Amino acid sequence: MTPGSSLPNFTSGGICRRRPAAARGTADWQAIGLLAFIVLLPPGSAGAAGSVLDPISASDWQRADAAHLLERTGFGPSAAEIDTLHALGPEEAVRRVVYFEGIPAAKLPPFDHSGVFDEGLDPFPPSRPATTALAKRDGEALGVQVKAGGDRPIQPVVNRFFYWLRASRLETNRVAYWWAERMLTSPRPLEEKMALFWHGHFATNEDKVRDYRKMLQQLELFQRKGMGNFRDLLIAVAQDPAMLAFLDAGVNVKDAPNENFAREIMELFTMGVGHYGEQDVREAARAFTGWNFRGLEFHVDPARHDDGEKSVLGARGNFDGVDVIDLILAEDVTAEFLAAKLYHYFVRDTLHDELRGELGELLRSENYELRPFLARLFASRDFYSARGERILPPVELVVATYRRLGLEKIPGNPDFNALTSRLGQHLFHPPTVAGWAGGRSWITPGLLFERGNFILDVVFPDIAFIPPDRYPQRTPNILSVHEGLRSGMSISQATQPPGVAGNMAASNAMVDSDEAFNTRYGSYRGWQMAIERVKPIPRHTARLDLTTLVLDGGAETPRDAVELLTARFFTVQPTPERRDRIAGFLRDSIGSDDLGAAASYLEEPLRQALHLLLSEPEYQLG
Amino acid sequence: MNHADRRRFLRGLGALGAAGALPLWARQTLAKQAPADDRILVIFELSGGNDGLNCVVPHGDDAYYRHRPGIGIPASALLPVDDHFGFNPGMAGFKRLWDRGDLALFHGCGYDAPSFSHFTSMAYYHTAAPNSGEALGWVGRLADAVAPEAPSNFLVNVDATQSLAVKSARHTPVVFDDPRTFQRRGSAAEQDVLARVGGGAVNPEAGGASNTRAYLREVARSGRDAAQRVRDAWSSYNTPVDYGLTALDLDKIAACIAAGLPTRLYYTSFRNNAFDTHVQQAALHRRLLTYATDAIAAFLDDLERLGMADRVLLLAFSEFGRRVGENANRGTDHGTANVMFLAGRRVRGGHYGESPDLERLDDSDNLLPTTDFRRVYATAIDGWFAPGGADTVLRGSYPVFDALT
Repeated sequence: MTPGSSLPNFTSGGICRRRPAAARGTADWQAIGLLAFIVLLPPGSAGAAGSVLDPISASDWQRADAAHLLERTGFGPSAAEIDTLHALGPEEAVRRVVYFEGIPAAKLPPFDHSGVFDEGLDPFPPSRPATTALAKRDGEALGVQVKAGGDRPIQPVVNRFFYWLRASRLETNRVAYWWAERMLTSPRPLEEKMALFWHGHFATNEDKVRDYRKMLQQLELFQRKGMGNFRDLLIAVAQDPAMLAFLDAGVNVKDAPNENFAREIMELFTMGVGHYGEQDVREAARAFTGWNFRGLEFHVDPARHDDGEKSVLGARGNFDGVDVIDLILAEDVTAEFLAAKLYHYFVRDTLHDELRGELGELLRSENYELRPFLARLFASRDFYSARGERILPPVELVVATYRRLGLEKIPGNPDFNALTSRLGQHLFHPPTVAGWAGGRSWITPGLLFERGNFILDVVFPDIAFIPPDRYPQRTPNILSVHEGLRSGMSISQATQPPGVAGNMAASNAMVDSDEAFNTRYGSYRGWQMAIERVKPIPRHTARLDLTTLVLDGGAETPRDAVELLTARFFTVQPTPERRDRIAGFLRDSIGSDDLGAAASYLEEPLRQALHLLLSEPEYQLG
Repeated sequence: MNHADRRRFLRGLGALGAAGALPLWARQTLAKQAPADDRILVIFELSGGNDGLNCVVPHGDDAYYRHRPGIGIPASALLPVDDHFGFNPGMAGFKRLWDRGDLALFHGCGYDAPSFSHFTSMAYYHTAAPNSGEALGWVGRLADAVAPEAPSNFLVNVDATQSLAVKSARHTPVVFDDPRTFQRRGSAAEQDVLARVGGGAVNPEAGGASNTRAYLREVARSGRDAAQRVRDAWSSYNTPVDYGLTALDLDKIAACIAAGLPTRLYYTSFRNNAFDTHVQQAALHRRLLTYATDAIAAFLDDLERLGMADRVLLLAFSEFGRRVGENANRGTDHGTANVMFLAGRRVRGGHYGESPDLERLDDSDNLLPTTDFRRVYATAIDGWFAPGGADTVLRGSYPVFDALT
């Protein structure tokens, strides 16, 4: 921001963070500061009316509350974890969960790269046509030269193009596995849960970014800064190569600004529709011109940056992107928007205006520091009144189920990514720039069936499972090319679209022999090259011992077993009628009421009973 | 007719509702009108970006052949539409619908500041809200507007995953792919128990009687209802109508309609970016259009057979058209404006909207849209399915074409 800026209250940089709220010198700010002060009064002194944000008292703190806190801030807590947290009392429990007091830093292994990338692949052209055009112009692209002669001189370049598309996609699925392992094993699960929140908030899709390295780097940013200050995070995201690639930063240049990023930052990341005008978007886009990336680094191209005066949200000045972010953060609505989104994610779907305003003030009074905000939220009576009202997002459902089953690794069968995509939440592939809609939209009749079928696939593994990271199940064209080539067909013959062989064959073959490259062959060859480099995902199944779990837990009858499993897996119990029915099923299956006597053949009926139990709709609630 | 005359003529047709283009025999049935709450709208998505210029071919415009010296389809090979347009030779199904006045073509459909990403542009068509972060689909919002009480099985989406288009605030769309496997899997021993998942009474005094829980139990029940009905509908469905090589899920929808499901909105898709014809597109594109139009025409024939033709309207679209000029691989790259379709007995067959000018392209050599695609949605909604509902559903006012009776 230039010194001539018409916004006297703003100093350059960090306006919201560096100055205490009450010192901003306007009546509004003073009022807000005062309100924030009231909101922050210690427990017991909030006055007669009180607020739903008042903390839960130590005397009200039940074991179920500790379970609720762990469930919402992590993934499927164990009984021991719940007991430990319950014993701490609410204040200390929240500090442990949010500030990790008494929890050592996670010693989790870093992502194990397969080694699919090399320098020739960067910068990666935006499309196959752009790649081949580049090859024709320069005689090489992606680090591969055009052939001096022979058939299809550009083919090696095209092969490499498809190699990277495939390798990046497969490697991204490995990153998802790595992340899921962290959710399963991290002693600081809220870091992973916040990363998951930010991944949905700053939704970025590998299909467009086409670089697992950028996706991983963005995830690591969320893991590292996701619980810090929102301003820091927002700036880091605005300068994050995956985000810059995803929202077309490369084409946002002086004299031809692209509004994609400026629009999304206002609409989806900070304020929401209706709180800014088209003019603000256009002017903000100018402030972000020239922002781009080189490799995995943020890079500003001064020649492409528009350093003229802009008018954004009522302020005028020679703003750059960070200035615009600060202008946005100074809007009341920004803190409310973000606070409401966090509330919806962690507490419940509904939020009335008054509480929304209160939450916004709280976040603003903390200068967008997330930890104190979350600590306040997780200590509040309101938070504990929302127990069992949240539908678990697919990724959380799957990880929580594995934790409750006592698994220490994410199974390779079922495939985590295929499974979560069937359930509607494929990591690194959010459906739109708005992320996942969440809440009730997670559930459709078909999806509810799939959530039950998931349990079946865990307790009785699918022996017809085919690893999707090796076998191109969903791309049958690749298989037909493969089979054609193996049976001695020419590339032209083998790559004909299925069914075209008849009267079109001659003309197709003629055209094909003239071509500089063959895309279908490239796609096939790219797959081969990718699976040679991308490390395979281990395909172990869940190794379970429900018999020991149930007998060691003291269950003596089928009824005991169902009650024990219900207590272990459910926040909201299924109806008594259903629990009776499932206990009856178990009794009929083992032909007895004595679990101990049936121990040697109990496992299979127990797994069926667990499948039935976890198929109940209440299992989706947490 | 030169190009300018042609465009004036098309505008004129739009103003007249193109009734003149309708064969007399086709207009004789127009008097019969289904009550508004019996009407069924089927949305059919052509994923991947259908090449509109090689689909409804402007053979009367020399510029078309200049842009497409390799893949331009000669007039003599086209299935005749009129002296300016012809259908791709593969589109026998649409030719049949056109000749009987059951097909409306909407030219030049698109939106401002177009995205060339399949993913993004499709989301714009799904939400009817380009360049925004709208979270609900327009079909879902339509269901919310027409049936706010959200009865079971109102909205069906045949696909492996739920489309953003049917994402609704109130409804839980019935989403299935294969009707035979739309069920809870489990061993024979488990079947009795599985058949009543979500049963029993909730004791409100025991706590845990939240709205969310009630919602889940409702979905479980409607899934149970739908699964059985869908499976029954499919197993009892048997048609003599030839849907061609692939029915593209329209037979499943016909089965549901035949079985009397209370569904009024169906959504399905020609999947997997099939129409993304970057390379050697001629034979492939023709074949895709054959599959699609065979299936759509057969679907409408099947509805005639069932006596349901007056109750059903089909809307077909793609997320964008393709570049005007062919590329070096005898294919086409991602483009902008495209043709959209409404098909069914209630349609006034003809041309609507202005055909984009092939001589005046945008900076990226793409067509300049002449018709906001939401006008076609508005036409389906206000013109027939739910008169007066378009503004609410589309969150804005889009002039309706007089293309429906």
